[in-house]
Amino acid sequence: MKRTPLNRRTLLKGLGGVAIGLPLLEEMLISNAGAAAKTVPVRAFNVFFGLGIPAPLQTEGFEGVLEPLQPLADKLLIMRNVDQVRCDESGINAHFDGASGSFTAEPPDGEAKAGGPSIDQVIKKAHYPRGLPDGMVPTLIGGTFFRRSRVSRYVHSYNMYGTVAATIQEKPRDLFDRVFGTLTLPDSANGRTQRLRRSVLDSVVDQYRYYTGKNSPLGAASRARVADHLSRIRELEQRAYEMKERPADSPELPPRSKLLHGGPADPGGQGIDITLDDLSTEWRLMADLYALAIQTDRVRFGALTFLAAGERIRLTGDYVYQGKKIFTFDDAAQHNATGDKGCSHEWWHKFDEKRENTQLRAHAHMKMREVSYFLQALDGADSVEANGKTLLENSLITISTESGDGRHSDAKRELSGVFHAITGANGRFKTGQIMDVNAEGLDVYNTMLQAMGASHRLGPADRQMTPTDKIRA
Amino acid sequence: MLVLLVSFAVRPSHAATRTTAGLQALYDFNSTSGPIVTGLSRWGAALGLEISDPKAVKRSEGSLSVRGKTLIRTQKPAVTIIESIRRSGEITIEAWIQPAKIDQSGPARIITLSKNSSERNFTLGQDGDRFEVRFRTTKTSDNGIPSLSSGPKSLTTELTHVVYTRSRSGQARLYLNGEAAAEQTIKGDTSNWNRSHRLALANELSKDRPWQGTYHLVAIYNRDLTPDEIKRNFEAGAGAETTLAGDQPTAGEHLFETQVAPLLAKHCLECHDSSTRKGGLDLSRRDTALAGSKHGEVILPGNAAESPLWESVDANDMPDDRPPLSAREKKMLQQWIDEGATWSLETIDPAIYTHDRQAGTNWVRRLTVEEYIATVESTVGVDIDQEAREILPPDLRADGFSNTAYNLIVDLKHVEAYARLAEIIVSRMDVIDFAAEYSQSRKLTDESMRGLISKMGNWVLRGPVEDREVDSYRGISTTVASAGGNFKDAVGFILEAMLQSPRFLYRMENQRGDGGRWPVDEYELASRMSYIVWGAPPDRELLKAAEEGRLFDSAGVETQVERMLEDPRAIERSTQFLHDWLDLDRMDHLRPSPERFPNWDTNLAPDMREETIAFFKEVVWNQKRPLSELLNAQVTYATARLAAHYGLEPAGKGLSRYDLSSVPSRGGLLTQGSVLTVGGDDASTVTRGLFVFHDLLRGVVKDPPPGIDTTPVPTRPGLSQRAIATERIANRSCGACHSKFEPLSFGLARFDGLGAYHAVDEHGNDLRDDGEILFPGAAKPVSYGSSGELMDLLAGSERVSKTLTWKVTQFALGRPLVSADARIVDSIHEKARKEGGTYANLISAIVLSDLVQTTRTETH
Repeated sequence: MKRTPLNRRTLLKGLGGVAIGLPLLEEMLISNAGAAAKTVPVRAFNVFFGLGIPAPLQTEGFEGVLEPLQPLADKLLIMRNVDQVRCDESGINAHFDGASGSFTAEPPDGEAKAGGPSIDQVIKKAHYPRGLPDGMVPTLIGGTFFRRSRVSRYVHSYNMYGTVAATIQEKPRDLFDRVFGTLTLPDSANGRTQRLRRSVLDSVVDQYRYYTGKNSPLGAASRARVADHLSRIRELEQRAYEMKERPADSPELPPRSKLLHGGPADPGGQGIDITLDDLSTEWRLMADLYALAIQTDRVRFGALTFLAAGERIRLTGDYVYQGKKIFTFDDAAQHNATGDKGCSHEWWHKFDEKRENTQLRAHAHMKMREVSYFLQALDGADSVEANGKTLLENSLITISTESGDGRHSDAKRELSGVFHAITGANGRFKTGQIMDVNAEGLDVYNTMLQAMGASHRLGPADRQMTPTDKIRA
Repeated sequence: MLVLLVSFAVRPSHAATRTTAGLQALYDFNSTSGPIVTGLSRWGAALGLEISDPKAVKRSEGSLSVRGKTLIRTQKPAVTIIESIRRSGEITIEAWIQPAKIDQSGPARIITLSKNSSERNFTLGQDGDRFEVRFRTTKTSDNGIPSLSSGPKSLTTELTHVVYTRSRSGQARLYLNGEAAAEQTIKGDTSNWNRSHRLALANELSKDRPWQGTYHLVAIYNRDLTPDEIKRNFEAGAGAETTLAGDQPTAGEHLFETQVAPLLAKHCLECHDSSTRKGGLDLSRRDTALAGSKHGEVILPGNAAESPLWESVDANDMPDDRPPLSAREKKMLQQWIDEGATWSLETIDPAIYTHDRQAGTNWVRRLTVEEYIATVESTVGVDIDQEAREILPPDLRADGFSNTAYNLIVDLKHVEAYARLAEIIVSRMDVIDFAAEYSQSRKLTDESMRGLISKMGNWVLRGPVEDREVDSYRGISTTVASAGGNFKDAVGFILEAMLQSPRFLYRMENQRGDGGRWPVDEYELASRMSYIVWGAPPDRELLKAAEEGRLFDSAGVETQVERMLEDPRAIERSTQFLHDWLDLDRMDHLRPSPERFPNWDTNLAPDMREETIAFFKEVVWNQKRPLSELLNAQVTYATARLAAHYGLEPAGKGLSRYDLSSVPSRGGLLTQGSVLTVGGDDASTVTRGLFVFHDLLRGVVKDPPPGIDTTPVPTRPGLSQRAIATERIANRSCGACHSKFEPLSFGLARFDGLGAYHAVDEHGNDLRDDGEILFPGAAKPVSYGSSGELMDLLAGSERVSKTLTWKVTQFALGRPLVSADARIVDSIHEKARKEGGTYANLISAIVLSDLVQTTRTETH
């Protein structure tokens, strides 16, 4: 791997760039924002990893593939036996069903449409019904992934109508730009032109306001879409005209991504070759940037994806954990196959609880290591808030995945026992436990929403909720 | 004679039935209590009439007598009637009435659609001993003057059938008791009809023109009935039963089609469709479902308790090995049987319920990247293709197409891109020249700028701009003026604002109403038409047709569509459909295993895509053949490289035409590399079969049952793909579903994963290309002997043809179709088929259908 975890401020020096100067970043860090704000803002993020952890392996606790989460054990509630069977959409690819149900607990409603909102968006709506404070990114979705045949495989934040809550940023540089980028208008240096261009924007805002107002001819979903557009215009306004000028000595841009993105990353579902080093390097940069966005309070809601549902990569490279070599990845050779049949997801298809499942274990362990990397980025000294706790402790971070099995042979088995872990959300949920919740995902999520102060409930309107109170603190 | 006729007319005549075509609203006064006079409405919810003073009326079944001063009016503007007449430009106002006295004038309002004594859309009134009708057009006063009157003494206190008609050409006529009584030309059109007027009886809305008498029937049509139709309505009598025109289902049909059929499709047809028929029961068809199983009837209409179907469901015995029905589903099934088990569909097609959860949600449509580029080009003449594709985020495919409205989201990147692109576009325009098309004045004065904004906005924003918009854009020019800017600066910045406005970037339409389907207005229709046919905005001719009200009748729409289909942009749009449908972007990312295909030339991928596009243009546009012949047309276009890959003798360097009539192995879309590569390197029979099943046959299958190892089995000497698939089909657990789709790929077995043709596979196994095809809904499979025969079967299949109709319609509407659309799609398909089944026929039928002519409204 080309990079190892860095000190936050050191990292910033290496990352900051196009839009924002280092001094400003330093100022923006919540740890430096002063103790003026005694209350901690509500935040909710969804962290998704592809393919899942077969339920039998979850029973091994930190002795098995969950080992990389152990350093955070006191700050996590690991939930086993969460049942997502209702997310099964008959006749549709199981990776897609399970992924779409992550954080929504409902079956998909289209190839790019979830069956309902994701928990982060419900919480956002409850706490910020009129939108987030100026200057914040309404929802940040990022990820390192390759398989993209259906959007729900890799996007994990859905608004109240079940459509994707924001465009996913799949390159670190794009994510950085989305969070910290200012707009450089061609003639913005010219004060007169800037004033005139603001009048253009004022007029545009007027038009969008009309279509979101009481005289709008639009239906509810359309109004919500136009309201989204309006909120982005306001963000643009802020960035173009109100953010501080960047200093001349701004650090350089994050490096360009070396990985495949867009269509080439998913060549006809056949999978791609990638080294562990390249994969981890890019993911960690993405995770650092996402964490930075939270630390600077530019983002309070969203989702981060490490590898898509049913991801198709042929991974190579030595996997070392805490100085010890765990495994050597070489999927295609170990499968003795090419194309999609040589990809790592085949280990999940071949899972057999009576066997050792060595390759699957190594992949799952590696995924936990990378998820843990992101979580730890929110748990350092730079992440301590006014109440003395870290962002990891104060936020609701839900970690989930697509399945509790990998074999597409039994929807019930595949969507039962789906691994979940949550953070304490500032004392709202128990932590430091591995708990068999034995509950439907819908009830678990609705209990979480209840604890987070959101009155909206996921799932069918006429369904009776069965609270899973044992997860609450 | 008149008395005789009237006494004949009061009683319903069983010989004559009332005409219903074009009927928009009907009041038969059969309700006898409550403050509301109920009625029927063609669109949306019925417009009830509220009686302001119930004591002033006496009601009995079939009549309402007004004995004192009152006002009977709709509780809200009669928007659906108004929109309908605005669009048609024609009307028939019909009433069976009996005036209480002769000395009523003003005219006294019998039926009125107005605001007060001087503003109306129409009024039928009594002026002493004559009837008077005021009908507003662009050539009359706001009061509908000049009016049309019947002659002196033509009005009596007897029961009278009075009808007013006005044709689009302006011919207005009054009929009394079936006979023409007066006529006059009323010039102009109805585009100026006020949308805020209410419909009222017995008085003006301002309550100062009361009328007394008895109503037996009031009807309003959006066309001028012929003299014969009027006579027939007269002969049918005042008490004749009438239903509204259209193909709207009854309550029982509605319950079956929207609730019961989807339930049966979801829970029962897996085992009880025409091909599986477990226990001898086929629940997919009306006749077989009602006939029952081998044990006898399973549905006893009117008696759920004794219906075996209900008993087994209620006891959770059925569905077998699947989750039981929910309490709500059971209750609904029970209600359906108890209410008579209405079965209004010939066959239940599971495919039409796939997206039903999305029904009822309207998504405003943002322009796709392609549409944005075309709109800029058409509106201001700037080619922004390169910059737009670089700066705008791409639109992602959802439910088969990249123009699916719910997925056309917007993020900061879009907003930033639209702002940047607006600057670039304006910088490339000759702003002064552009503005000169709308105003010769170059002054920054209020009057001058408002006039320019209004006219220029009408073009840029695809329809008239409202005062609030003019005010907003005018604000820009004021700022420019105050900053010392000139006319050019002002227009440039106004254009930048317009190019970022919601009316430019989205297709804004009215979506609010009473929850029913409403007709779209003329500008909304023009935009729908142009984006469907061209993927671009209305041109000046289409916008003019909207302005002049020429889109109000189907002939006017047809004329425009025919013209538009001659434009090269129609071809471009159709290839966008093709591109999305077959996901031709896939070809950009095709990366076959180099070990397996060491001779693969990466240039072949774009060649394959170009082949398919050129082939489509040849069949659809040059030869104008029915769409289904895309499956077996014996022609293709290939580069020399691709021809060699296919085993054809190369005919030239570039893309050349190849006649395949003597090449039995190739011909039709499914034999082209762009489609054959869907199966991956292994040429998966499952993936290829599912492609044909889903994308050509609209088939539906469920997940594999529990306990099945789905790991693909590799081929080897003695074990071909076909043999592996045959084992799967023979497997008890897999066969029920795999037999439906996997044999569809057998005809493609001789094409490898990259589309090259071989008689044997890499292990030397012989490759057979015969098989069977089971069309969804059919009871038995049909055999084919070769790939060519499979293509012919598909091309000749009604199911394939209808699937193409569904696909093109989905792309045209920008949303997945739901079961509520099924009846209309069926009529689109039928109409297109009768016209020849070509792409042009289909587009015309779509544009003329209710799916385009109307919108689903949401309540306020």
